[in-house]
Amino acid sequence: MIKQLTTPFSEETIANLNVGDVVNISGYIYTGRDAVLPKIIRLAEENRLDDYGINLQGAVIFHTAVSPAGVGPTSSNKVEIESSFEPLSRYGVKMHLGKGAISKETVKVLAEQNAVFAIIPPVTALLGSHTVEQTIIAFPELGMEAFNQLRVVNYQAIIAAAKGVSIYD
Amino acid sequence: MISIQDKVAACLVRAGSTFREDQKEAYRRAIADEGNEHACWVMRQVLDNALVAEERRSPLCDDTGIPHLFLEVGKNRIVTGELLEQIKEGVAMGLRQLPGRPMAIKGDDDARIDQSGGLNEDSGALAPSPILIKAVDEEVIRLTILMLGGGPAIRGITQRVFHKHSVDVVVDEIVSRAIPAVSQLGCSPCTLAVGIGRSQFEATSLMMEAMVYGDFNKQTAFEKRITEKVNESNTGPLGLGGKHSVLATFAKVGPQRASGVRIVALRPCCCFEPRRASVEL
Repeated sequence: MIKQLTTPFSEETIANLNVGDVVNISGYIYTGRDAVLPKIIRLAEENRLDDYGINLQGAVIFHTAVSPAGVGPTSSNKVEIESSFEPLSRYGVKMHLGKGAISKETVKVLAEQNAVFAIIPPVTALLGSHTVEQTIIAFPELGMEAFNQLRVVNYQAIIAAAKGVSIYD
Repeated sequence: MISIQDKVAACLVRAGSTFREDQKEAYRRAIADEGNEHACWVMRQVLDNALVAEERRSPLCDDTGIPHLFLEVGKNRIVTGELLEQIKEGVAMGLRQLPGRPMAIKGDDDARIDQSGGLNEDSGALAPSPILIKAVDEEVIRLTILMLGGGPAIRGITQRVFHKHSVDVVVDEIVSRAIPAVSQLGCSPCTLAVGIGRSQFEATSLMMEAMVYGDFNKQTAFEKRITEKVNESNTGPLGLGGKHSVLATFAKVGPQRASGVRIVALRPCCCFEPRRASVEL
């Protein structure tokens, strides 16, 4: 059975997710990858997220570029991306959405913060048909790697790390 | 009359947005045959994506790839500099229509290496690869466009194999290189493209040819052996397990050197590749 999830996610919603669950994600989600995620962490550390209207409480971060070609997950195990899981979860992010195996250490850190990692196939055309809005929120100078917000309906993903367990174990 | 540029542009859009029938069939067969539910879910998503992309004529993947061009020329046909220029213009038009991801790097040699010059925002600014030309026994000039993504380029390997006068040795080496490449690629199920030649250039050219002519419904014994052995790894689609890490192998064996070495080019094509389409000019 596919679980229906709407952002922002509550602690309870995340606590009810298990590895292997297929979920439909709807609502507003953020996008970012190697270039921008360290900048978002810096904004959070400097308490400046409000300056950009960014609210990470219960948020999803989708590891993708946003270009005229559409969106699609990049590998979440790139250093700058995977190292963002811990601080971003600490600042409220509940789901990191991308692809590829992440380390045991990251799986453990996610569990400590009651956050999850979900995998989304690189299905750009399908995702395009489920994306309602896209807005650049911060760092437009990064072009397709800027920090964007998307409004999505039923993005389908599979929970790959939750409660200290990984789908790759 | 449709111009050369328009024909090439339409061909590029088709390459970047459409699964061929043999490709769709390969997915349907794999889904029917797969016992792992996660693997089935991934492959159904990839197939649904292809159907939506075809209908909307939109990119299969947001990494729309670098256009690679393969030109077949019949004995009595003439390729002029003007035709090559028209093909180049058609590629730029097609990239704007698809639209391709704007990923041409600006600047001089150093700036293009370290990406310090920034990106060109024009999708059409992405230069295609050099054209590979092959003489054929038909009265045609046929262009095939392959859109080659970055993930498979990272994991592709072109290296020698000491064959020890045994096909088994070569197959085993290809398999041992392919298993980690497929696992690391992530965007699987893959199709393995293999070229075996006398030099790095020749092996890579043969690998390109394998991608141009490969058919999911026609597999040689050599190709089947590689596919089956790689699938024994149970990496599965997106690395989630299952017996379909690889849907097929497209291999081309060229003339060989009188020596103990074979040069093998291997590309783990992603779940959408080979993204290709052909047009007669």
